[in-house]
Amino acid sequence: MASNDAIYGYDPRDPAAPNRPTTYGQVNRDIIRPLLRPTALWLLAMAIVVGMMVWGGFAWYQQITMGMGVAGITHPVMWGVYIVTFVFWIGIGHAGTLISAILFLVYSRWRTGVYRASEAMTVFAVMTALLFPVLHLGRCWQAYWFFPYPNQRQLWMNFKSPLMWDVFAISTYFTVSAVFFYVGLVPDIAIFRDHSKGLIRKVYGAMALGWHGTDRQWHHYMAAYGFFAAFAAPLVLSVHSVVSWDFAMAPTAGWHSTIFPPYFVAGAIFSGCAMVISLLMPMTYLFKWEPYVNLWHFENLAKMCLLTSGILTYAYGMEYFIAWYSQNPYEWAIFSWRATGDYAWAFWLMVFCNCVAPLVWYSKKMRTNPWSLFIVAAIINVGMWLERFNIVISSTAHNFDPQTWALYSPTWVEVGVLIGSAGWFGTWFLLFCKTFPAVAITEIKEMVAPPVKGAGH
Amino acid sequence: MGVGGGATALTACGIDDNLYFTPVETILPYVVRPEAVTPGTPTLFATTVVTGADAWPVLAVHREGRVINVMANRQTPLAAAVPAAALLELQRHYSPDRFAGPLDAGATTTWDAAIPKLASAVAKARAEGKKVAWLGGYRSGTIVGLIQSMTGGEAVFFEGLGRDAEAAAAELVFGSPALPRYDLMGAHYVLSFGADFLGGAWGGAGTQSQYAMARSANHGNFVARFALVSPHKGQTGARADDWYAAAAGSEAHVALAVAKLVAEKKGVASAFAGWLAGADVAAAAAASGLSEAAIAEIAEHFATLPSAVALPGGVAGSSAGATALAAATYVLNLVTATPAFSAGGYPGPISTLARLEALVADLKAGSVGVLLVDDGCDLVSLLPSEFGLAEAIRAAGASFSFSSHPSATQAACQVTLPISDAFEDWGDEEVVSGLWLVRQPSGAPVRDTRSLGDILLATWRALDPAGAPAGNWHERVRAAWIAAAGEMAPTTTEDAVVADAEPTGPTPAQLRWWESTLAAGFVAMPSYVSARPLTPREGQITLPAAPSGDLALHVYAQPFRRDGRYANSPWAQETPDPMTGQVWGSFVLVHPATAAKLGVGDNDLLTLATDKGSLDVGVEVHPFVREDTVALALGDGHTGAGRYADGTGVNVAALLGAQRDGSGCLAWQGARVRATAKGAKADLVSTFGSDDHLGRGWAEVVAASAWAPVGDAAAAHPGDLVGRHGLPMDVRLQKAGIEDFYELPEHPVYRFGLTIDTDACTGCGACAIACYAENNLPVVGKVKAKQGREMGWIRVNRYITDGDVHFVPLMCQQCGHAPCESVCPVLATYHTLDGLNAMIYNRCVGTRYCANACPYGARRFNYHTYLWPEPLNLQLNPDVVARTMGVMEKCTFCVQRIRRVKDAYRDRGFNNRVPDAALRKLTACADACPSDAITFGNLNDEASVPASSRKSGRNYIPIPEIRTFPAVNYLARASFHHAPAAHGAGHGEGHGDGHGEGHGDHHPTEAGGAEPPAHH
Repeated sequence: MASNDAIYGYDPRDPAAPNRPTTYGQVNRDIIRPLLRPTALWLLAMAIVVGMMVWGGFAWYQQITMGMGVAGITHPVMWGVYIVTFVFWIGIGHAGTLISAILFLVYSRWRTGVYRASEAMTVFAVMTALLFPVLHLGRCWQAYWFFPYPNQRQLWMNFKSPLMWDVFAISTYFTVSAVFFYVGLVPDIAIFRDHSKGLIRKVYGAMALGWHGTDRQWHHYMAAYGFFAAFAAPLVLSVHSVVSWDFAMAPTAGWHSTIFPPYFVAGAIFSGCAMVISLLMPMTYLFKWEPYVNLWHFENLAKMCLLTSGILTYAYGMEYFIAWYSQNPYEWAIFSWRATGDYAWAFWLMVFCNCVAPLVWYSKKMRTNPWSLFIVAAIINVGMWLERFNIVISSTAHNFDPQTWALYSPTWVEVGVLIGSAGWFGTWFLLFCKTFPAVAITEIKEMVAPPVKGAGH
Repeated sequence: MGVGGGATALTACGIDDNLYFTPVETILPYVVRPEAVTPGTPTLFATTVVTGADAWPVLAVHREGRVINVMANRQTPLAAAVPAAALLELQRHYSPDRFAGPLDAGATTTWDAAIPKLASAVAKARAEGKKVAWLGGYRSGTIVGLIQSMTGGEAVFFEGLGRDAEAAAAELVFGSPALPRYDLMGAHYVLSFGADFLGGAWGGAGTQSQYAMARSANHGNFVARFALVSPHKGQTGARADDWYAAAAGSEAHVALAVAKLVAEKKGVASAFAGWLAGADVAAAAAASGLSEAAIAEIAEHFATLPSAVALPGGVAGSSAGATALAAATYVLNLVTATPAFSAGGYPGPISTLARLEALVADLKAGSVGVLLVDDGCDLVSLLPSEFGLAEAIRAAGASFSFSSHPSATQAACQVTLPISDAFEDWGDEEVVSGLWLVRQPSGAPVRDTRSLGDILLATWRALDPAGAPAGNWHERVRAAWIAAAGEMAPTTTEDAVVADAEPTGPTPAQLRWWESTLAAGFVAMPSYVSARPLTPREGQITLPAAPSGDLALHVYAQPFRRDGRYANSPWAQETPDPMTGQVWGSFVLVHPATAAKLGVGDNDLLTLATDKGSLDVGVEVHPFVREDTVALALGDGHTGAGRYADGTGVNVAALLGAQRDGSGCLAWQGARVRATAKGAKADLVSTFGSDDHLGRGWAEVVAASAWAPVGDAAAAHPGDLVGRHGLPMDVRLQKAGIEDFYELPEHPVYRFGLTIDTDACTGCGACAIACYAENNLPVVGKVKAKQGREMGWIRVNRYITDGDVHFVPLMCQQCGHAPCESVCPVLATYHTLDGLNAMIYNRCVGTRYCANACPYGARRFNYHTYLWPEPLNLQLNPDVVARTMGVMEKCTFCVQRIRRVKDAYRDRGFNNRVPDAALRKLTACADACPSDAITFGNLNDEASVPASSRKSGRNYIPIPEIRTFPAVNYLARASFHHAPAAHGAGHGEGHGDGHGEGHGDHHPTEAGGAEPPAHH
């Protein structure tokens, strides 16, 4: 652990810290250094994720040509791991928006180091999540029917359907996240433009939208950024609430519950923060960003996880309490089956991952230990996937009519598509790491002592 | 009504075999449009299908050159119904494995070559003084004379699931082999010794329908009580109110003991002293394992209930005492002089096994020159090999099979002359003495087949050009009927002036009579109407030795595969076995205690061995067999019988020797087996989840004693549903006195609804198969069925509570507040003004959200695009789209039929309103149901059954707490074991829940309800 202490062991608030960046130039160099220079490790990682994506594409091709029968979904479990993973990725996205928008609005300083990567994660997570509503369709080639386009057949959609709410909630969320992400990137792209030549300079130049860092530009920029932050903040609450209604609006026992929106939002932030830890921890190490992202940030993320883990644990308990207290036999049957039936392994593993494992972070020592952070975050990621698995699968498997009860298990096609979706996410993320600064240069500079007294940015 | 297949040659369009991807159509306009055919409009042909030992009148639905469905013929004196077997006959009609034309030694030949070959073989046999023999199933009517003229009088009419023991017993008791007639309609007590009379192979749809009448307090102020004496409670037995699990083979002892006790009670013991001489209550109790009190209880019911009738054993009772059992039931019926039992059942000819064995001996002795083998049951595969039928057929000088389907029997014959089936041929059947059903073609032959009558006539003509009768088979049948009809087909003076009439042919009036007879589908002779009592001769019944031995093998007939003739029908394979939910395979039923002793569980392979052979079969742990008995269905395990039958299941005949009863009738029962766990898993596929409905209100019970006096009359209340569980109604609703917080959709003219009487339902599966036929439901096969992807829109749920079996057919409930409608993002499912949850299949994108939201599990998803191997595609209903992959589907109350009837009444100007009478049996399931358990109607019409039955005290709606306001309501089953109050309805332990573990033992009850039941 000694070597790790050398890497991460400083608090940026401490002016005497050894690796503290000293100048804007060093910031530029440190952050731009990894860009556009593919290392062997990066190429290897890229090969793996692209391979995963190709495999996923093949699996999807099988599903399109042969029909949904190649997946494991069956009566009465009509939604399988596609929907599980859809909810999982949507949830992941939320932490990014929380960190970049809400923490911005409340002037939380530790946001600076991690927000760019979190925001990228949000955009890519939503892009990954968006795959699944299309992938899981029986006739995915008709997916455009979800959109209100004018047509001579007078076809229209059903605005009563929670899936339709999803379409609007998620497309809004994706649009806002992407715009917010891009707005945040503009000054950094300009820096990158200034440090590059030739064609690359032209490309980045076009993307920088003529940014020169003038006072007037900064004035408008900060206003716009604040506006988008304020615009994005409520989406953290609304989008996952709407996603939870996919379940809560159906009369299915175990789904039909008013606790779902807050419970889903808390779970989303929980899983998202854990995912930020999981993604940034290796990047910090590989790209040597320890002056900008370090244990101080990770500890704060761990604290977020601790809070939301507590909320989730409460929600789990409350689901059982209400199922018992309401004396609704269908609710109670579902919840007791979840804990004791065929999928009990998933339930108890989920309880361990989401309620028990994060408890180690109550110890300051564990919270600041990179290995503990990395491992527990990975456990949380597994746990949050299982949570959605428990919700989606077990409620439908033991629905109202006992005669229809049956079990579900995914097939190689579904697993292949999941692997492919992870590859899709990884591909975008790796491309991002090499083409855009994954740590916000301009905002880091705000934390560095200005080189000339009284000078601005 | 049209008269024949002539029109069908002018088919308007041919459909490419590849239905889904690139439909190629060749459109040929009619040169001369046939008068009876309007494109897009079905033509109905009354005809008769033969389903084994039974025949049934139906209407064949003809569309554009092909028969697409069968509907109930409501004109005959028999019940209006489409039994499952009639639908399976329809699918057999289009079997992809049906022969394309005649075969000689396996090679294709032509009719022009095959018929002279048959004629010369017969001529040679006659010249050599050898016999011309006939072997086949039951045949009656005009064809029998033709067969006998070919064989010189002798013919074997034998069915594997036949009634030869009953015929032998009739010979013994009454002196004539004609079977007695049963009329269950007025019976207050039905005592069955194993006959599967509620949709099984025994008695056909007639007994099922009669029993439904006897059962319903609406038809008289009584509820028939059904007692079963048998070691196994199967699909028919599931309806029994009392199950006396007598040891296999002891039924005759019990029957005779009951007869004795009843005779004593009735004071007629002396009159039947001879017949009752062998009766011994104590010995019967010892042999059967029943207590003497139980036997006394049966006798008590039999003697005291107003009209009691005993039914013989069928396959289940065909033990070493088969004839004794049938005779004992006859005596039992005579003792009470029940009006439900009279002369004039099926008159035969019925050949016993002894006749078949004599034929086998002749064949082996080489004294048979030509053997003619009929279409129908595959006797070589069905009967144990010890009978030596296959070798005997091969020993014949020449053998001709008339089978149009491949089978082991057909393969043993040298030449195959495939004959036309019930939808392609003329004919007549005497189903009960004096009641004749007539048959007419309802479409052109699907393959190059010929009518059996025409083949025999052509052969006759080739043998004896001068002596053979003139005319074709159709003219022979017509002439025979016109002759028999006599004054029913009068000659009028008008005939004399019709120049076209041939001098020797029928007159126009006679032809008109014949056409109207064909349109009605039956002829009732005066002898049919009068019930004649039966009088016994003197004699006595010889009981066989009491059965002994460890594990008895109980052989039974599965309601769909039956004697194996439907094994190659995908519907017969994929419709779940009513009792176990098993599809596509054989399974052995083992009592839980025996299974524990053997160390096997569900789906474990069990090796069953006798000294005749052994086989491995998967175990279904089942509470409804005796502990000392295992039960295995016959009719499976074929080779060379077609793509669906081959390799599916095991053939129980491998375990059996040549078993006969005392009078030379076939005995299926009597084998003892050694069972050992194989230690491997079988490949069984059950579509059932949990057996227990966990007190969720899917199956309900009322006390029969409360229902009987009042029926379903709205004013009277036959007592509360027993043991109702569920959530109490929201207090706010109660206070406001409203149905729901939200307005129900408006249904200005119609709100279509179904009523399902679970007391009448026997689980026979006719509705489920009728739905497959009407709505183009694909068959998915074993692999996909194992994944739970069968497509049936009607699921006949089977629940077990307190040892009672409940059948609850479940289809889309067409909810008023439908959870599926609001969740569909593209409005592929929506609420119509008629109250239907309509489906727009080509709008569906396949989110499957509707299926997740549906509390009834009524929606089915097309996981793949399923194809219909040619010519099964010809059966597809052109009014219903065949769905492709990725689309959700479900019952829509046969919306295409609703559309048709609405259009018809609009065109006739009936004030835009379809009357109730035209709706009652509109849907395919309601039309088919032989028990009259399903009735369709308009809930806005107070007189309709669905509306009025909702006021019945038996009315219930499953899981009403979900507040979906379904259009389907159920009527509770009547029970003789429940008191009329709403108490004492503990829900029994679950049996063999495939998913294990405890479900909520937390069922709140309404005030005054039962204690919360405990579940494992």
